[in-house]
Amino acid sequence: MTVTLDRTRNRDEDVADAPAETVGRALRTPMRWQLVIYLLLVIGVLVALMPFVIMLFSSLKTQGEILRDPRSLIPQEFTGENYSRWFSDIGIGQFFTNSIVVAVATVAGNIVFCSMVGYALAKMEFRGKKILFGLVMVTLMTPGTVTFVPLFVLVSKLGLVNTYPALILPFLVTPTGVFLMRQFMSGIPEALLEAARIDGAGEWRIFFRVVLPLCGPPIATLSILTFLGSWNNFLWPLVAAQSEDKYTLPIALTLYSKGQDATNYGLLLAGSVLVIAPIVVLFLALQRFFVQSVVSSGIK
Amino acid sequence: MYRDIRVRKVGLVTAALTATAVLLAGCGRTESAVGGSSAAPSTIGSAPATGTLTIWAQADEAAGLPAFAEEFMKANPGLTITVNPLPWDAAHSKYQTAIAGGSTPDIAQMGTTWMSDFQDAFAPIPTSIDTSVFFEGSAKTNEVGGTMLGVPWYVDTRVFYYRKDLAEKAGWKEFPKTWDEFKKFGKDLQTKAGAKWGIGLPATGTDSFQSMLMFPWSAGAKLTNDDNSKWTLDSQQWIDALTYYQSFFSDGISNPNPDTGAGAAEAAFVDGSTPVLVAGPSGIGSISKAGGGADYQSKFAVGRVPSNSSSTSFVGGSNLVVFKNSKNADAAWKFIQWMSTPEVQVRWQKAVGDLPAVKSAWQDKTLADDPFLKVFGAQLEDTAAPPTVTTWTQVSAAADKVLEQIVRSNADPATSLKSLQSQADSIGTGS
Amino acid sequence: MATEVDLSAARPASTPRSGRGSPQATRARRQGLTAWLFALPFVVIFSVFMLVPIISSLGMSFTDFTSRDIQTPFAVGFVGFDQYADLFSNNQFLKSLSVTGYFVVVGIPLTMVVAMTLAVALDSGIDRFRSFFRVGFYLPVVTGIVAIAVVWRFILQDNGILNAVLGWFGIDGPNWLNSTTWAMPAMILMAVWRNTGTLMIIFLAGLQAIPTEVKEAAAIDGAGAWKRFTRITLPLMRPTLLLGAVLLSVGYLQFFEEPFVMTNGGPLDSTLSVSYFVYNQFGFGKYGTASAASYVLFVIIALLSLVQFRALRSKD
Repeated sequence: MTVTLDRTRNRDEDVADAPAETVGRALRTPMRWQLVIYLLLVIGVLVALMPFVIMLFSSLKTQGEILRDPRSLIPQEFTGENYSRWFSDIGIGQFFTNSIVVAVATVAGNIVFCSMVGYALAKMEFRGKKILFGLVMVTLMTPGTVTFVPLFVLVSKLGLVNTYPALILPFLVTPTGVFLMRQFMSGIPEALLEAARIDGAGEWRIFFRVVLPLCGPPIATLSILTFLGSWNNFLWPLVAAQSEDKYTLPIALTLYSKGQDATNYGLLLAGSVLVIAPIVVLFLALQRFFVQSVVSSGIK
Repeated sequence: MYRDIRVRKVGLVTAALTATAVLLAGCGRTESAVGGSSAAPSTIGSAPATGTLTIWAQADEAAGLPAFAEEFMKANPGLTITVNPLPWDAAHSKYQTAIAGGSTPDIAQMGTTWMSDFQDAFAPIPTSIDTSVFFEGSAKTNEVGGTMLGVPWYVDTRVFYYRKDLAEKAGWKEFPKTWDEFKKFGKDLQTKAGAKWGIGLPATGTDSFQSMLMFPWSAGAKLTNDDNSKWTLDSQQWIDALTYYQSFFSDGISNPNPDTGAGAAEAAFVDGSTPVLVAGPSGIGSISKAGGGADYQSKFAVGRVPSNSSSTSFVGGSNLVVFKNSKNADAAWKFIQWMSTPEVQVRWQKAVGDLPAVKSAWQDKTLADDPFLKVFGAQLEDTAAPPTVTTWTQVSAAADKVLEQIVRSNADPATSLKSLQSQADSIGTGS
Repeated sequence: MATEVDLSAARPASTPRSGRGSPQATRARRQGLTAWLFALPFVVIFSVFMLVPIISSLGMSFTDFTSRDIQTPFAVGFVGFDQYADLFSNNQFLKSLSVTGYFVVVGIPLTMVVAMTLAVALDSGIDRFRSFFRVGFYLPVVTGIVAIAVVWRFILQDNGILNAVLGWFGIDGPNWLNSTTWAMPAMILMAVWRNTGTLMIIFLAGLQAIPTEVKEAAAIDGAGAWKRFTRITLPLMRPTLLLGAVLLSVGYLQFFEEPFVMTNGGPLDSTLSVSYFVYNQFGFGKYGTASAASYVLFVIIALLSLVQFRALRSKD
């Protein structure tokens, strides 16, 4: 603990909080500190990536080799069999499609609905506001397992079992999303909105023209969090879907790689790599958007 | 501050509303009929099955089932069967919620220890099904509160896998038959064959207690009394069995902290550091794979549970059940009946690898002559299963902890069992 | 755009507007209506799919509901607070409270400090490999727990990778997963590894919302980097810090997945968290007990969040 704290202090000694090229001399990080930062980042990223590297290499081993020699990193003989089984024998395509449909719909719903209600909670006065926010926080804090059975009973009463809506609706809005949007939006200066109001803009116009364009980073954050939540969700889709054609990736992953008392580790790890790949792509795409939004929103 | 008060108020209002709702709904337990005392069909019709059937099955069984369903549909042209696969990991939760939501299939594959959990949802089996054709231990897992709620599909029992080459090196041509021999066998493997640990035994973790029940059972200990109304976990047989079990760990023959990671047990078996392990039939495949292929099968063998007053092992596997809600129960039972014929059971074993639950299926050559399978067949004649009571998982979880204390902290077996007995008493048997 | 970014951003949203004339009142009324229109889609979905199940489960916690009652949910006994009272005399539950407490007290500060350090480092003058570092630090978040479990066993087992690395420094590492002392630190290590990425992203988004002008002005006034960080960056990050702290504690108080896949709550209950206790009760079919334990956890989460709201509330 102490070590970490000390390190923070040292590292922050000469840290500036914006891209170097846009900043004047006063904020530039000196060379020697840049080196220290790089060194620490490289060590940190190696630690962070280590398990992933193990996973990638192990997925290229045969089941026999994983069982015989689980600790070696580089496979003695490389095999693509674990991957080809996912594509040819199992047909991972249908599960990908399902996962994407559910995740995209969930993300879209969260972006639209959570930012709308987040704006109302952050920047508008209305009766019941405190109660609404209170309820959102209560829901955020309720342990998920406890509502599981009642939720399923509800969904089956509504006749939605084994449909896409059953997979999507319970997550179309999330208390986390509302909280996140509200927190960021409450950081938007009131003066900006007042100026727009004085110009005669209505709330809808202000929301779309003034507030949303400023919300690039939080919307990117919300998209990643929601996408990830949906992408890795296991128990709910399993229960709500009742035939294989509605199954999502995580279900397929355990379904095909885990038996009653034996696990096909190679298949499991290869499948995990395939499941992770799209998220890495999504993250790469969105993080570029992070950088852009910073450049466009205010500094220049 | 303002906000905080509101939150609390909302909470109270909600609580009050709910309490009122629950009260208004006129709640209160009424003693309803337990189990499936609702009219059991006496016989299964002889006409071909028609209509539609949905079957839920887990993992390997789900993968193998469509081919058999196809065949049955050919013989019954008016019937359509859909098989829906579930992962083992979450199948219990899936059945739990499906029953809650009233969206159950017609037929399901039920783990033998789950029968009592969902007893109210299953239909009793037709009286015309002869349950004496199945292994007795396996058939008993279907009996809940005196009613048969399902039919054995396949069985799974535990035996010991050992390295033949190392055993010979240690001076053992055959697998030990008695408890005393078994312990000496472990010691010899360490001293004469260079094994780090003589015997790999379940030490800790979920179901570790369940996995070592072969020892108390072989000593004549019982989990409950005859009518499953009381736990009997502190008898002298129990103390003897656990004292014996503990000695493996305190004498350094077994590892109290075994690696439970991917393939760790198989790897330790193959590299000779722990040349004996407990496993079901799936061990044949996973050990061969770890050893480099089918050739490796000449290096190891399986042996029956060493006997004390008996040689009794654990029987698991899966049963087939029909849900009460099924609209096509007649066709469902016809399919199950067909799956239980010896001929189909043998073909099922060849296709999926599951051991037949029907005794006469074992006369088939592929089973009777296989050096590994015939040991399983012999072991199946003497097996036991945990009682079909709803509180078993709870007692089993408490027992896992007690076992852990005995193995790791060298706790006194008699005292530990006494505390387990009192925990089990307060949990009850749910009847 | 937005050159004049007002930095009193931290000012509460409910700043009262001056004047109390009738036009204002009309406007307020109209705004109230608009606000509810903004909230409407959320409120509808939220009420149906979240409030209804929560209310039902809360009701369950006052009954002796078990898995055998699921087809006849109203034919159960009303037991009031009995189950809550039973919980507090259940040693395993009390143990699980202390396990969760340990995890939260060590895990939350550790994760926040690591995440903030990384966010600041990534937001400092670094411009090479920035995307690579971001993705690298975020990757642990996206990996599903099942695959993680397989890999982390390779790392944490007695002769695993972690102890091999410790061996280079002459340290004889413990048998992490089988030691009552070291199993929790191992779980915390995994949790920090898994959760830092999310928090780092949230903090980065917050850091980037702070205009450079302000810090530049401070720098010109002679404030050093550490001073700028504590006096300017941290105060302006209050809403973000609050967000991070609340999300993290909500998540950490429900600590479950790591022991579930790694230790099964052992050895000797040393990693059995409250959520794990709840999970076990559900497994036993004791829905009433499970619900009651969940709501005890809920109260704790709510209390902790309240404290955080107090501590990190924006100052006017």
